[in-house]
Amino acid sequence: MSLRFDRRQFLLGSTALAAAGAVGLKPAFADDTNLRQIFWGSKARADRTTGVNDLFTKANPSDKIATEFYAWNDYWPKLATMTGGGNAPDIIQMDYRYIVEYANRQAIAPLDAFVGKELDLHDFDQDQVDGGKVGGKLYGVSLGANSVALIVNTAAFKEAGVPVPDNNTTFDDLIAAGAAFNKVGKMKVIQDASGVEPALENWLRQRGKALYTADGKLAFDAGDMTEWLNLWKKMRDAGICVSPDDQALDTGPLDQTMVVLGKAAITFANSNQLVAFQALMKDPVTITAFPRTAKGSKGGHYRKPSMFWSIAGQSKLGSDSAKYLSYFVNNIDANKVLGVERGIPASASVRTAIAPGLSAQDQVALNFVSNLGDLLGPIPPPPPSNAGEIDIDLMLKKSQEVAFGQQSPEDAGPDFIKQANDILARKG
Amino acid sequence: MTVRPLGVEADAPTAGRTVTTSGWSRFWRKNGTGYAFLSPWLLGFFGLTIGPALISLYLSFTDFNLLQAPTLVGDANYVRIFTADPKFLQALRVTFFFVVFSVPAKLVFALLVALLLNRGLRGLPIYRAIFYLPSLLGASVAIAVLWRQLFAGDGLINKLLALIGITGPSWISNPRYALWTLVLLSVWQFGSPMIIFLAGLRQIPQDMYEAASIDGASRWRMFRSITLPLLTPVIFFNAVIQTIDAFKSFTPAFIISSGTGNPINSTLFYTLYLYQEAFGYFRMGYASALAWILLIIIAAFTGLSFLSSRFWVHYDS
Repeated sequence: MSLRFDRRQFLLGSTALAAAGAVGLKPAFADDTNLRQIFWGSKARADRTTGVNDLFTKANPSDKIATEFYAWNDYWPKLATMTGGGNAPDIIQMDYRYIVEYANRQAIAPLDAFVGKELDLHDFDQDQVDGGKVGGKLYGVSLGANSVALIVNTAAFKEAGVPVPDNNTTFDDLIAAGAAFNKVGKMKVIQDASGVEPALENWLRQRGKALYTADGKLAFDAGDMTEWLNLWKKMRDAGICVSPDDQALDTGPLDQTMVVLGKAAITFANSNQLVAFQALMKDPVTITAFPRTAKGSKGGHYRKPSMFWSIAGQSKLGSDSAKYLSYFVNNIDANKVLGVERGIPASASVRTAIAPGLSAQDQVALNFVSNLGDLLGPIPPPPPSNAGEIDIDLMLKKSQEVAFGQQSPEDAGPDFIKQANDILARKG
Repeated sequence: MTVRPLGVEADAPTAGRTVTTSGWSRFWRKNGTGYAFLSPWLLGFFGLTIGPALISLYLSFTDFNLLQAPTLVGDANYVRIFTADPKFLQALRVTFFFVVFSVPAKLVFALLVALLLNRGLRGLPIYRAIFYLPSLLGASVAIAVLWRQLFAGDGLINKLLALIGITGPSWISNPRYALWTLVLLSVWQFGSPMIIFLAGLRQIPQDMYEAASIDGASRWRMFRSITLPLLTPVIFFNAVIQTIDAFKSFTPAFIISSGTGNPINSTLFYTLYLYQEAFGYFRMGYASALAWILLIIIAAFTGLSFLSSRFWVHYDS
């Protein structure tokens, strides 16, 4: 039988539909649960996520999942607008940087009531459970651990005849490698990371300090900042790191980083980004720990939840969403689809089950995060509100002002602390 | 006398009432169709332009982070902008610099090309299309890539400079020069003022030039005494439009610095700063206040242009 409408029927039909829409009637099938999901990430992440969604709906035929994803920069305005409009999706990908803000404003829901029922976390690493807590309550389920890591162009180190850096390499070792690199003359040893907040944090932690205290104040002083800026000034002047002109070409995207542009053999990044960097480069790259401040200095690194699933505070489908979250982090088949793209799975049995099937590079990332040894320290508290502005804006500006010679490290240190405190004290 | 609600004229003189009603109905009969056709635009204008603008005026007196309801804070946003915000001053500096250099340069360049094209060339539509092409590209990722290829340290410009023995800096990432590369980008996209100049030039009566050449006037003299004066309305129009555009300029800096306004905030356009406050840090109230200040600045400049136009713009009539 063929399906045909004449014009009048078509008009009638669509008017009726529009009218139904206007009064909020949706053609719904009584028993279906329509979950909505939102996340940031690449096409590769989207494919893996919808792969899991297909498995989940096959196992739970009454659940439907509508998913949407955005690039990082577009994601946060979009999510905030949706939340502000009372239209937030049920399942929300959340970042360590924003979880406090969203939790404090009840934009995401506490999950403690679901734990042990819909949400099974019995096999989770304790640090990954704790990483999702705000004020003692669980607000996010970790989708994997990662750590900061150096991306290292191994071909460049071979050409310079210098051993490839490993977890024991110090800043002094890198400085010593400068002469060999400058003799080859192709690229510098390392990017200028004076404006990279995770690099500063790692350096501070090795000295027994931190970026922020638990109550959201700065945990380092002007002297630390001046010393940090001076370390990089020394490396800049000696041609160990790249020139300010070159470093300023890096405005954020991976394809503009010094290692991808071929200006330096080392860039500061995260352990789960190895695959993404390799995809952009011909030379082989690997990952290793951030440089030590001295031989045997410890505790710079920590394993942070790379991202979370949270449930919207407005969601009426809390228990269904919790069931999905539990499936996502525990089901073996689902995690074979996911791999380590979002980070190293937090459940020990999942890790064991998926390890043999991983690609060589995924294995490198898995081994790196699992074997940090004495470099590993406790996870710091989530940064306070407004800390994002210090990271994105102030760090970079101060670093560039020193690099381009507009300010000395001695002036920039106290200036940084003063402006950072202003930003933190600002309401709204 | 009892107070009656407006519009209820129970015992008003019948004659008067008939006049009003018939006035309205005459107006409606005459213009109703027109307004009916205009209604989509009117809906958009009130619903999508005036309405949100008024809401943003309200928001500018509040703290609003999108997640929670706005809370009134009086004039605190404005006070902070004018007394304690170095980035606001930096954004103003960058934007004024951009307006002052890009608008005149773009207009002169557009006029020059329009004059060249207005000499009875064959294949004029083709040239016109080619010169308009950069404007169509707008500010896209392709432009960001192209500008990097040209103005980076190892870019094409420096390779050309090297031929004459000059070692150039990385223009696009050096705080001294980065803004200039954006001025150049703006000048390069001279298509729309050029088309308008070209149309203006076409309207100047040929017989004036003929008369002038019979009198032995030089080309320069003809340009000074005929072309320029008769073109002033078009120059004025272009200047106003381009100035407003330059104040609102956003995408070039956004794409080339990935929204950071760096190096050292040297390309922090006003609208880019506004965007950062609104969508980077979710300070919608503060960003709304910034938006209204920009509106007032643009209105002031446009008003000044119109005042000055009395002294230099010649209309035929």
